Amino acid sequence: MSLVKMENVTKTYQAGAVEVHALKGINLSIEEGKFISFIGPSGSGKTTLLNLLGCIDKPTIGTLTIANVQTNTMSRNTAAKFRGNNIGFIFQNFNLIPVLTVYENVEYPLVIVQKVPKAERIQRVLRMLESVGMLDQKDRFPNQLSGGQKQRVAIARAMVTEPKIVLADEPTANLDHETAYKIIHLMREIKDNFHTTFIFATHDPRVVGEAEIIYEIEDGIIINKKESN
Amino acid sequence: MNIIIIALRNLLRHKRRTALTASLIALGVLIVILFGGIGNSFKKEVVGILTNSSMGDLQIHRMGYVSSIDNLPLNMYIPEQALVKVEGLLNENPDVAAYSERIRFGGMLSNFSQTTNMRFTAIIPEKEIATCPGLPSRIKEGSPDASSFLKPGQIVIPENIATAMQLKVGSDVVLIATNKDGSVNGLNLTIAGVSENLQGPGGKDGYIHIEDATTLLRMEGREISEIAVKLKDFNRLDTVAASLSETLSQMKNQKSGKPILELHTWEQLSPFSSIAKLISILLITVRIVLMFIVIVSVMNVMIMSVYERIGEIGTIAAIGTIPSKILALFLTEGVILGVASALLGVLVSVGTLLVMSVIKLPIAFGRMELQIAPQIPTFEVLLALVSVLVVSILASLEPAIKAARMEPVDALRHV
Repeated sequence: MSLVKMENVTKTYQAGAVEVHALKGINLSIEEGKFISFIGPSGSGKTTLLNLLGCIDKPTIGTLTIANVQTNTMSRNTAAKFRGNNIGFIFQNFNLIPVLTVYENVEYPLVIVQKVPKAERIQRVLRMLESVGMLDQKDRFPNQLSGGQKQRVAIARAMVTEPKIVLADEPTANLDHETAYKIIHLMREIKDNFHTTFIFATHDPRVVGEAEIIYEIEDGIIINKKESN
Repeated sequence: MNIIIIALRNLLRHKRRTALTASLIALGVLIVILFGGIGNSFKKEVVGILTNSSMGDLQIHRMGYVSSIDNLPLNMYIPEQALVKVEGLLNENPDVAAYSERIRFGGMLSNFSQTTNMRFTAIIPEKEIATCPGLPSRIKEGSPDASSFLKPGQIVIPENIATAMQLKVGSDVVLIATNKDGSVNGLNLTIAGVSENLQGPGGKDGYIHIEDATTLLRMEGREISEIAVKLKDFNRLDTVAASLSETLSQMKNQKSGKPILELHTWEQLSPFSSIAKLISILLITVRIVLMFIVIVSVMNVMIMSVYERIGEIGTIAAIGTIPSKILALFLTEGVILGVASALLGVLVSVGTLLVMSVIKLPIAFGRMELQIAPQIPTFEVLLALVSVLVVSILASLEPAIKAARMEPVDALRHV
């Protein structure tokens, strides 16, 4: 059974007077627990595809089903709740909330989105921070952390809700070589431990090298699919 | 962690901006409460002096008397039959604490070498003091006791006349007046007291005993020109005045069918009521200015806050925060800013008023030297807090709705 199914998905933007066809009839099926990478040049449609998978944007045409739920017809509220329970996000710029500590950033989706009871919340946040190696930094604020540390916290925040899918748009683009390498391995390790599906949009060959399935996109069309052994 | 903590921390991100906005709102609240406290206390004090020492809370006259009061007409007395009925009504009315019948007339006062014109109020001292209990405290020289304040054969004059004519307690004077038939009569009197100028600096108002007025004006029956009334509860003035006025309007002249009597509250009789109204209008103006301060300050901060945090709004929306929660986050921020600032303003203003009430503010109003001990204007404090709360919500609403309606994908793209 597929976790994600895209059928004939097209996305068209209006950029001023110009109509941009970001995705053109994408058909795709993603299995649970995979480490998947979308690669392609800038403007090829990787980020648009990730936005659709993350239910923060809707296809112009076609259907998108995630965890047996047709997401392209959801209202804003339902989509928000669906994201909060099923999808984790890791951003290129980390996007931590600056006024919250490391602990509170990870706790945020459990309090505001999932409303998990306090005792369970504490347990889950601490376990997640331990998994990403940030437990000793839990009382620090984002501006007191390095890029790599911020991305670890972002991974913990994405994972703490126990999502089915984690979407990462260029997660290593703002990290140095060594840190990027560590982050990729951390995500791979987490994926193996929690059996979560990781989907990346990236240019980084190190990320691509770790992927189990690689989709190559060009001009809004998937032109190639590679599976590693 | 909850919405309030997040809102507080967001406000503290820009400490200087928040502090400036908060101090502006607090200053607005401070001005409203101080003005309310001092203005209302001043109003209360002056109204208290006027009603308690000379006017009473309301007055009853023969119809048309007040419009010609400057002449103190001698032929517009309350008819005796009507007078008896009014006294009966006032005796039975549970809202009436006391009333005093007066004869008002104009006359000449002579110290045997100089003569001046004056207005006189002839009273029954016991009833006058029950109606105007503040009167004895306005007597600067002489006996302030109700029993010895004014006896037949005595007169109380204002201090400007006493000074000008070099009169003091115990001096003999002659009072000359024309009665309603046009004959001039005179009466020897002794100064029993010198009062403050109750009607203001130009006031030349004296008191004599009602028995002396009856003799001087050669009155045959009870001819009363004015009844001053004191109420048990001043706050019920309008209700009692309306009900008494209604009852009095039933007493009609049999020939013309028109009411015989008229009733006026102190506000309709005293020029100070215009000042009291002006104070109230100024207070309303200050309140409106406060509302503008709050709406502009809070809205400015919240618009800036939303604009600076578009990317962050995209992030929290992407990770599952529903639009109503985003709305609540920004509304909470605006409300905390408004209400916390208002509370600061309340604290400072209440503290200031408490200090002022201890030291007492000396204010000169005409010849009156007032010692204002401002009270905490509870209504003003509550009104300021509630209106700041409401206005903060309204001011935050537009930016908060804007934040809640942002599409996460567009917000995340914002740099």
